[in-house]
Order: sequence, then structure tokens, then C-alpha cells
Amino acid sequence: MTDAVVFDRVTFGYPASVQAVLDDVSLRLPEGSFVLVTGPTGGGKSTLLRAINGLVPHFSGGRFSGRVLTASRDTRMFKPRDMADAVAFVPQDPGASFVLDQVEDELAYGMENLGTPVAHMRRRIEEVVDLLGIDSLRRRSVRGLSGGERQRVAIAAALAAGPRVLVLDEPTSQLDPQGAEDVLAALARLVHDLGMTVVAAEHRLERIASFADVVVGCLPREVVAGSAAEVFDRIGSGPPVTLVGRALGWSPAPLSVRDARRHAATTTLRRPRGARPPAGPPAVRARSAVAGYDGVDVIPGIDLVLGTGERVALMGRNGSGKTTLLRLLAGLLPPRAGSVGTATGPPRTGVDVALCPQEPESVLFCSTVAEEISSTVARRSDVDPRRFIQEFGLADVADVHPRDLSAGRRLLVAAAAIAATGAPVLLLDEPTRGLDPEAKAALTDFLVGFTERGGSSMFATHDVELAAAAASRVVMLAGGEVIADGAPEDVLGDSAVFAPQMTRVFGAGWLTPSQVIAAASS
Amino acid sequence: MSVHPGAWVVWGVGAGLVAMLTTNPFYLLPLVGVSWLVYSACRVPGPSARSFRTFLTFAVVALVLRSGLVLFGTLDAGNLASAVVEGLRLGTLLVVFGTFNSVADPYGVLRLAPRRFYEVGLASALALAFAPRMIAAVTSVRDAQRLRGIHVSRMRMLPALAVPVLENGMEDALVLAESMDARGHGRGRRSRYRPLPWTTASWVVATAAATTLSIFVITALGDNGGLSPSLFPLTWPEAESILVASVCLLAVPALLPKEGSR
Repeated sequence: MTDAVVFDRVTFGYPASVQAVLDDVSLRLPEGSFVLVTGPTGGGKSTLLRAINGLVPHFSGGRFSGRVLTASRDTRMFKPRDMADAVAFVPQDPGASFVLDQVEDELAYGMENLGTPVAHMRRRIEEVVDLLGIDSLRRRSVRGLSGGERQRVAIAAALAAGPRVLVLDEPTSQLDPQGAEDVLAALARLVHDLGMTVVAAEHRLERIASFADVVVGCLPREVVAGSAAEVFDRIGSGPPVTLVGRALGWSPAPLSVRDARRHAATTTLRRPRGARPPAGPPAVRARSAVAGYDGVDVIPGIDLVLGTGERVALMGRNGSGKTTLLRLLAGLLPPRAGSVGTATGPPRTGVDVALCPQEPESVLFCSTVAEEISSTVARRSDVDPRRFIQEFGLADVADVHPRDLSAGRRLLVAAAAIAATGAPVLLLDEPTRGLDPEAKAALTDFLVGFTERGGSSMFATHDVELAAAAASRVVMLAGGEVIADGAPEDVLGDSAVFAPQMTRVFGAGWLTPSQVIAAASS
Repeated sequence: MSVHPGAWVVWGVGAGLVAMLTTNPFYLLPLVGVSWLVYSACRVPGPSARSFRTFLTFAVVALVLRSGLVLFGTLDAGNLASAVVEGLRLGTLLVVFGTFNSVADPYGVLRLAPRRFYEVGLASALALAFAPRMIAAVTSVRDAQRLRGIHVSRMRMLPALAVPVLENGMEDALVLAESMDARGHGRGRRSRYRPLPWTTASWVVATAAATTLSIFVITALGDNGGLSPSLFPLTWPEAESILVASVCLLAVPALLPKEGSR
């Protein structure tokens, strides 16, 4: 089998940076394989992806040595645009990458540049529209799409150009679990049926691990490639089933729920621990609240209480009204009817209720992480900004410019700056984009500590494993209405789509690897 | 009937050059009115249409600032009048640009650029993308900072608004440039998925704009026709009806029959 992508002793450092991001990297990605690129934040995943079509170094600048061969073309000789017929690239947040206004034109853009005949373009567009399930979006403007819709359109546009190699940076970060499954399955089919090579960076391994033929692990000092089992073992990471299998000494450590079930049959676990402490008095409450934009009611009337000390995961498919509900509770969107209130009256934005928005970049304006947090704290004398830096695990980057951090770390900085308002209710809108497991654990720890000190939190997320690990209650939305509300093991355990891996393997009541490991070892 | 982006380019260039050729308020004010009419009738719903209001604000600011500058020099009627008409001309240009932005999809226009001018095309794409996206970003950043208890309406907190808006704008522009490059912008061959037809309406708009511009150019080359009324000594500007009428000709896009269902 020939190799779709070859890295031959590649070393690269960005301009004005002493440290090399890629240090003497050599790897071969065989044609027709599904390649997962993973590793901690700052390990150089995005750089590695960009080197495949020559955006690194042609677009980034910097020092580059060694060579990258993609579809037998040396990226030193071919510019990214000359690779466009062979490689397609979908960046992390595709919103900014759209060139044309209407979705259908956007799908055709790459093919137009390649001079594809019109009849052929029509056929390709029909195919990718079906494949990604975006027929209803064709006539829409790309500017008005939701995060999940943008990701589908960007992937469809990349596929339409008919690349041999498709490179994606966190392609499912904003998709609901079912949507992510559908997109990954569609990509896997292209790999199997057409021999396309897919290279995708992901943190949420539980979704993608079972599709991957090859895993590339990017560590700060080295890059390793091999089978999923080898690489997960080497970099000490993996989906929940792998972590549990490793801890319980299952050999080989399972990669899928199916593998894990065989081992689970021989493992006895003590029943999970008792009930959680009951929720305190309401911190914020919506009473028959109606909300929406431009005359459309996204939330047709909702009754919901966030109790003191609760950590509520707000889940539901793309477009179910999660963001609207958070904006409503934060006092940013006044209810059209009904009411929203805290114990002392309507929520005062940034005082009673703080909300970390979906685009964390919108709040960052200082030149260091420490300043960013102090600037929120400045108006209050009772808080030490260093506390938030510690709690969010940002001590090592306190003096770094927030814009120089990876997407995941930026999100933590924004969350810390917003938590520093001292508002007793903290809302977060999809706080998981770009978060590696370590950062996710820091966020979870903070939320647990915050609510134990008397705070209350609600976070919208598509990440079932985060909900399983961090939530004390799960609220499921559909069409702006609450369709399920209860303890995580009940709401998540009851769902074919939203069940976390531990529930799938060990049955209802089991949510996280650490819970299972504790129950097995005692 | 839809108007081809190329016809809008002719309209925009025509209206813009007319604004630059004259300082006579009797030609500039009708031009502002005409732009507003065209904007109202032909805007494409979306963020670029919303940016018209921002350009209108810029125009007023330009007029006030330019007129205010005179306070730092010799204050006499001639200087004041000169500042006001200069400000008015700048404001008119901004209104024309805002109208052009909201009636023609900037990217649609960009794709008309001949492929030899790839670099220029890319640079203009970034420039065109920068302003409207920044304007859209202002609202979202203001909201986000409010959530953090920072009210950017206070002067001291202005960096909290300006820095994320500019930096997001820059980052978005880079992502766009990267994406265009990675998707083959500027390669040799090209085809069009849905070529826009050069409709009768496009002919009408382009011809009207070209006519207006020709009349003004001929006037400028010849006897001047009150294009630049004397300021020293200050005289009451005079307007020729044919020139006023030709400015009104630029309102033709507003009078075209509305686009039916496709």
C-alpha cells in the first residue's frame, strides 16, 4: 500500500518562537486509512495538520526543515492552492473560513477553483448534501448557521472538491452525539469505499477511537504513530473504556464498548455509592418564560429551577435552544412573557449570574492571563486573582498572552475571568471545544469546588463524558422544552444516544471510569 | 430581476466618483438621498445590510469631525464652509460605500476579478471581510463583556471592546485567507457553478450609472457647472438642473421591479 502522507524528519518552529513545535517528526500515513491525531493541548496537533497541505510553512512562516510528501507532492515545491485538488482542510472553527454567502455556493467554491465542469459540480453537490444531511440548509446564508451546521457545511464543502486526503481539526466539537456519530460514520464510509485518507484531530476519543486505523499521538517532545492500542498506552490516554481496562489490568485494553463488555462480564463491582446531597434553595428560576429572536420563540415557555449547589448539564441536539436558555437565565435576553429571577429579583448580568460564551475569544483583551483575570477581580477587593489561576490550572501560563494559547486553554482563561466576577451562578455555553482531558479535569474540579462553596452552575454541552463526570443533574432540551430532568444516571442511562461509555459497559448507575475503578478495587 | 454584481460595481464606482468630483451640496445631498433609496429597495438581508447603519454613523461622525477641525484654525465663513462641504463629501462617499456593501455581495464581486490579480483579489477579500465582520463582532463582544460585569460603555473600559473586536477580526481574516488558499483560490483554471446572468436590469443599472458619471466627467473637464462653488470669496452654490437630474438617475436600481420567486 502506498502512503498518502509522509513526514520525513520534519522540524518546524513558528516565527519569533525559539521552541520547535515539531521536532524531527517522521511518520507514514497509509492511503485509505482513518487517522486520529490526538495528544495534550500544545502538543502540535494543529501544526501537524497544517503541514499536510503546506499551510505550514507557506502561510505561517517560520523555520521548516525536512520534507512532507502528500499525494506524492513535496509541500516545499507546491503551495497550498496547488495541493487543493489532492488535500482538503477543515479548520477548527469553520465559521471564519466561509468564502461565499450562500451554502450551495460555498459547497461549489473549491470545485470552481479547480475548474470542475458544471454538470460534475451539480452531481458532487447532491452527493455531499445527502452525505452530511444538509439539504435544508442549501439556500441559507452561511452567516446565520449554528455551530453544528457550520461544521457540517464546512465538511461537505471540503468533500465536494473530491480530495484524496481530508484533514479535519476537531470536526465534531460542536455536534450533538448523534450528529457526530453520523458525520464520523459518513467519513469512515468514504475511507472504506473510495480509499480516501481521513486525518482528524480530536480530544473526545470515545467518539472516534473505534473508527481509527492509525493513531498519531502528539506529545510536546515527540510524535508517535501506530495502532490505537499502542499509542493510547504510550501517551497514557484513551477513551473511558481503555482507561478502565488499563486500570483493571484487562489485556489487551479495550478500545470499544463491545470489547469492554466481554471483560466486564468477569468483573464484579460493588454497587455505586448513595444519593447526592439534595439541592439547596433556588438560585435562579424561570417561570413560564418565553424567549426568542426576531419574532421566533425558540423557547415557547419554560419552567426550570437551578438550585444552590447544583451542577446542571444542559443537553440536547443542535438547535434545541440551549444557548437561548442560558442567555435568558443570565439576564441577557429578557423574557417575552413569564419571568426569570434570582432570590433578590431579576438576574443582574455579571453580578448575580455570569455566563461564559461559546466564543471565549470575545472576552479576552489583556496582554497576559494574569491581567485578564485581575481585570475582572479589580472591582472587588475580597478575591485573590491567583486563586482562579491555580484552580483552572493556568499557573504555568500566567504571564503568557491569552491569544498565544491553544483554543482549549483560551477557554479556560475566559472561564476563569468570568468566574472571577464572583457571581454565585456560573453558566457555561459549550465549555469543551479544544479541551484536552487534563483541561477538562481542571474545569470539572473547579465546578465541583465552586458548587461545594455554595455556587450554582449550569453548562450546555454535547460531551456526554463531561456531563457524566461533572454534573449533579442533567436537563435535556428538545424544541426549547425540557424533555428529561433528573440525576445523570437516570437521564443519561436511559438514552441510547447520550449514555456514557461506562453505562454502556457496566449498566445503569455507572458513569465515570474513576467511579468504576474505585468500586472494583475496594 | 437580479442585478449582476458587475453592474453594482459600475454603480458603486459611478456614484463614488461623482461624490469625489464635486463639493456642491446641491449635488451631494441628492446623492445621499439616492443611496438611501437604493439601499432601502435593494439591500440583501443579512449582516452586510446591517452594516449600512454603521456606515451612516461613520458618515455623520466624519461630517462633524471635519467641521469641528476648523475650530483649531482661523475661524471665518470660508474656512467653515470648506470644512462642512469636505465633511459632507466624505460622508457621502461613506454612505455610497455602505449602500454598495449592502446591495452587492462583496464576495460575489470579488469573484469577478481576473485570475491574474490573485494576490490583489485575496487582499481585497480580506479588506472587504474585515469591516462588516468587525461590525458584527461589536455586539457579541459587548454582550460577552457584560456577562463578566464589564460595561464597555465606559471610556476606561474601551479596550475591553476594541481589543477583542480587532483581534477577532484579524484572526478571522487570517483563517479566511488560509481557507481560500487551501481551497485553491488563484489556481489557473476556473469554472462557475451558477454563473449570474447579465440581465436587462443589469444593463439598465450599469448604463444609468455610466451616463451619470460621463455627464459629471464632461462637466468637470469643461466649464465646471458649479461642481466646486467658490469658497473664497464665499458664494451661494448654484446647481444645474441637468446635473441634479443625472444624480437622480442613479436611483434607477430602486425603481426596478422587485425580484420574484426564483
